[in-house]
Amino acid sequence: MSGAPAKSLVSGASGKPAPPNRPLVRRVLIATTVAFLTLFIVIPVVNVFAQAFSKGIDAYVSVFQAPSQPKDAQLSLVERRKLTAARGQAEKTWSSIRLTIGIAAVVVPLNIVFGLAAAWSVTKFRFGGRSLLIALIDLPFSVSPVIAGLIFVLLLGRNGVFGDWATHVTWPDPFSLHWRGFAEDWWPLEFTQSYTGIIFTPFAIVLASIFVTFPFVARSLISLMETQGSDEEVAALSLGASGWRTFWKITLPNVKWALLYGVILSTARAFGEFGAVSVVSGHIDSNDTMPLRIEKLWNEYNNQAAFSVASLLALLAVVTLIVQLIVERQTGKDEMRHTEGEGIP
Amino acid sequence: MGKLIRSTRGPSRLIPGLPLTLGYTLFYLSALVLIPLASMVYETTQLSWSEFWQTITDPIVLASFRLTFSASAIAALINGVFGLIIAWVLVREAFPGRRLFDAIIDFPFALPTAVAGITFSQLYMTNGWIGGLGLHIAGFINGAPGLAGTGAVLSDDALSWLNFPYSNTNTGIVIALIFVGLPFVVRTVQPVLRDWDTEHEYAALSLGANRWTILRRVVFPEIFPAWLSGLALAFARAIGEYGSVIFIAGNIPGKSQIAPLQIVAKLDDFRTSQATAIGVVLLLASFLILLAINGLEWLARRRETEPAI
Amino acid sequence: MSIEVRSVSKTFNQFKALDHVSLKVETGELVSLLGPSGCGKTTLLRVIAGMEAADDISGPILFDGRDVSTEGVGKRRIGFVFQHYALFKHMSVFENVAFGLRAKPWRQRPGEAEIRAKVGELLQLVQLQNMAQRYPSQLSGGQRQRVALARALAVEPRVLLLDEPFGALDATVRRELRRWLRKLHSKIHVTTILVTHDQEEALEVSDRVAVMNEGRIEQFASPETIYENPANPFVFKFLGSYNLFHARKTNGGDAMAASPSDSNGVTFVRPHDIEIRRENFDGYGIAAKISHIAFAGSLVNVELARIDNEAVVDAALPAHAYKDLGLKPEDKVFIRLHNTRSFDDDYSI
Repeated sequence: MSGAPAKSLVSGASGKPAPPNRPLVRRVLIATTVAFLTLFIVIPVVNVFAQAFSKGIDAYVSVFQAPSQPKDAQLSLVERRKLTAARGQAEKTWSSIRLTIGIAAVVVPLNIVFGLAAAWSVTKFRFGGRSLLIALIDLPFSVSPVIAGLIFVLLLGRNGVFGDWATHVTWPDPFSLHWRGFAEDWWPLEFTQSYTGIIFTPFAIVLASIFVTFPFVARSLISLMETQGSDEEVAALSLGASGWRTFWKITLPNVKWALLYGVILSTARAFGEFGAVSVVSGHIDSNDTMPLRIEKLWNEYNNQAAFSVASLLALLAVVTLIVQLIVERQTGKDEMRHTEGEGIP
Repeated sequence: MGKLIRSTRGPSRLIPGLPLTLGYTLFYLSALVLIPLASMVYETTQLSWSEFWQTITDPIVLASFRLTFSASAIAALINGVFGLIIAWVLVREAFPGRRLFDAIIDFPFALPTAVAGITFSQLYMTNGWIGGLGLHIAGFINGAPGLAGTGAVLSDDALSWLNFPYSNTNTGIVIALIFVGLPFVVRTVQPVLRDWDTEHEYAALSLGANRWTILRRVVFPEIFPAWLSGLALAFARAIGEYGSVIFIAGNIPGKSQIAPLQIVAKLDDFRTSQATAIGVVLLLASFLILLAINGLEWLARRRETEPAI
Repeated sequence: MSIEVRSVSKTFNQFKALDHVSLKVETGELVSLLGPSGCGKTTLLRVIAGMEAADDISGPILFDGRDVSTEGVGKRRIGFVFQHYALFKHMSVFENVAFGLRAKPWRQRPGEAEIRAKVGELLQLVQLQNMAQRYPSQLSGGQRQRVALARALAVEPRVLLLDEPFGALDATVRRELRRWLRKLHSKIHVTTILVTHDQEEALEVSDRVAVMNEGRIEQFASPETIYENPANPFVFKFLGSYNLFHARKTNGGDAMAASPSDSNGVTFVRPHDIEIRRENFDGYGIAAKISHIAFAGSLVNVELARIDNEAVVDAALPAHAYKDLGLKPEDKVFIRLHNTRSFDDDYSI
């Protein structure tokens, strides 16, 4: 079953030299590669940062932090309005960043738990419908993000299947949790705000984000655990270790890099998902994640601000790729360490 | 090692945890994938066949399908050609920066679609780096220090053939879809090329074949299944793509609106069932493609394991 | 501790891996399960370990007379050594050996000092005391095998189960480890079952050998009995190279027939039990012609063709005997068979 082709963690080296092409052909091919990748990847990514800083550092910073009103300065009405508007914009941008991090903080741990459970059940046991289950885990990769959003609207929207329940359910806003103290009650924490309904609230954004991100962790764990087999687990069990101990001491250390790999990919996607989140957010400002905020700024012709927010996400993408490379090298090394000793009689 | 077979007697199972992990997995998948997708099927059954047909044959919707499928196909083909070259070069050729270029192939996976959307849109605007390339070059030449005081050598329009203002055009859609689909082709072909034993090529050379014949008759058939499934994956992804396209597309109904945008537009008008009908078509299309890919992989595997007669 | 399985069967998708197998291993014994691949020996070992559940129709698995067939692998207190060691890659040798001790329920778990002492002792036993901090990947195959053994012994198992323990090692290391295992067993004297497909290995290390074929035990006896007195043609054939004669069953002695057509039984002779002489043995010898001579170290393999029916006979004689006789291809000689074994014809060949 294939969705997005995950780059294999262990890269096989061909080693053997190939018969050489003619130098001219080689040069043309290399030039084509470099030109194509430069045009379609390098320039667009560089452009994000160039546009973000096109009006200088100050303009960049002011996207996130509007300048405070200078003390005892006499500002005209226009200037004061401008300042207030800039502050409003910066506040909205910040709120989108907070929401995005909050969503990822909920989604990624859930994906980890699911990924471990799914990988354990699928790789340690053989049962009927197993390959169907694996296919099902891959399914979200082949579903358009817009449809990922749409299905939750159909399920939980006003006229949805669970619409009656879903539009009236009330749940507290985790961001409004604050310290009330013991004076009023034995329980010191309190939510000051709550949401009603699911669609067009962050709850729906969480659901849509889970849908598009959960396969990353599961798939990277499944492919590694499938190749590792169960020998070490069986050995641990035969030595009297419990199932939990076997999992924590044997399985988890063996798959830690694959887990990290999946977590990174799923975090990056959770931060950057646009289509699915856009559909369930209802275009309400307080529901804006960073990608939705980018769209709003763009539509307000505030390109520099849109690119400034985009630059944070692009930076995250760069970091993702770097960590991905490190992880690949690490697992490659593990593999080396594992085979190194084979030669010793 | 022996397979772990479920049994009814004795030590019930060697490795513990099946009920817990499988139960949780099934619960999670049901709650988040199966039930929501089933709601889509349910919603579709609420439509009569004629309503469904009317929705998807509405001229505007039909135009959006046409645009989505044709732009996706063109982008997939371009990716097929260049992705193959890139995969080949990255595996076979040594040149400065090869590792870096190899690493950035994954950028379209990692870069949020909205970011890709605005940067492509901006690049191909008349004042963007590529959209206004001729303008920028003319300006650069006019401003060159040796020409100071001679006035404008070139008019702004002199190099207008170097402007590529594809923002808000359907060409722009293809450009965005090329970006989105490129890694699918490269990353499916690359491992096959890497595992390819180059001795086959020496064998062919020793039999007197020339390089082109070897490529065509020996190498390409070997990577063909992977290449085709990479192509199909890129195509499937392009059909559903939303974020990176809507910024660069003109989004004029009937002309430059892609099918996913039609879904969003219908949803915004609270025409949920119509949105669902369009969604079902897209979903079916991508499932068919996936099915084709699996069939392809199955065929390729069978060919490899087929016993010699 | 004694181990007994009574009429154990195991079927994988209609394939009978074990077919009503019964076996009793006495306390302190070292028993080998010997047989070709697919004969069910590993399955039997895994059933005893609790890694594989026997079919419902099976009888009990008794450890010291107590049925353990419903207990899980962790409860049976067995030490299992895997064919490919299954060492924990991410743990040092020390941690690998200590794993079973640390995994005990906290009431029975020894203190850190005790663990250290115990692991040190075990590493001493397997002669790896200065490898404690190495990782499995930094060890040779033989060393890994010994770590696996030490790890299995750490939990003081009541029985030690070894699945092709030397299968992945090269010939010299195998021989060395085999002798070492024998010595180790006489030192710790824990009931041990070893699975192998190598007859030499089974005969050399075991107190008793169970020869298995197609899910059944063909013979269970001491190595000497197995070799000298094989119960049936399969056992005879599995234990080494042989010559086959279709023979009319006579009352003992050097049974042999002039032609295979009137035979009602088979007679087996090992190549080294064929004596070659230049002159006849008082008229009892069989005339043959040497067709090929091959040197195999201390032995010389001589391929002969009987003059009467041109049947091929393989003989092996010590190098010095070969030299004394001065044999050359095409020489005509006489042969005599010793230690023949005859079986009824109803054994399929």
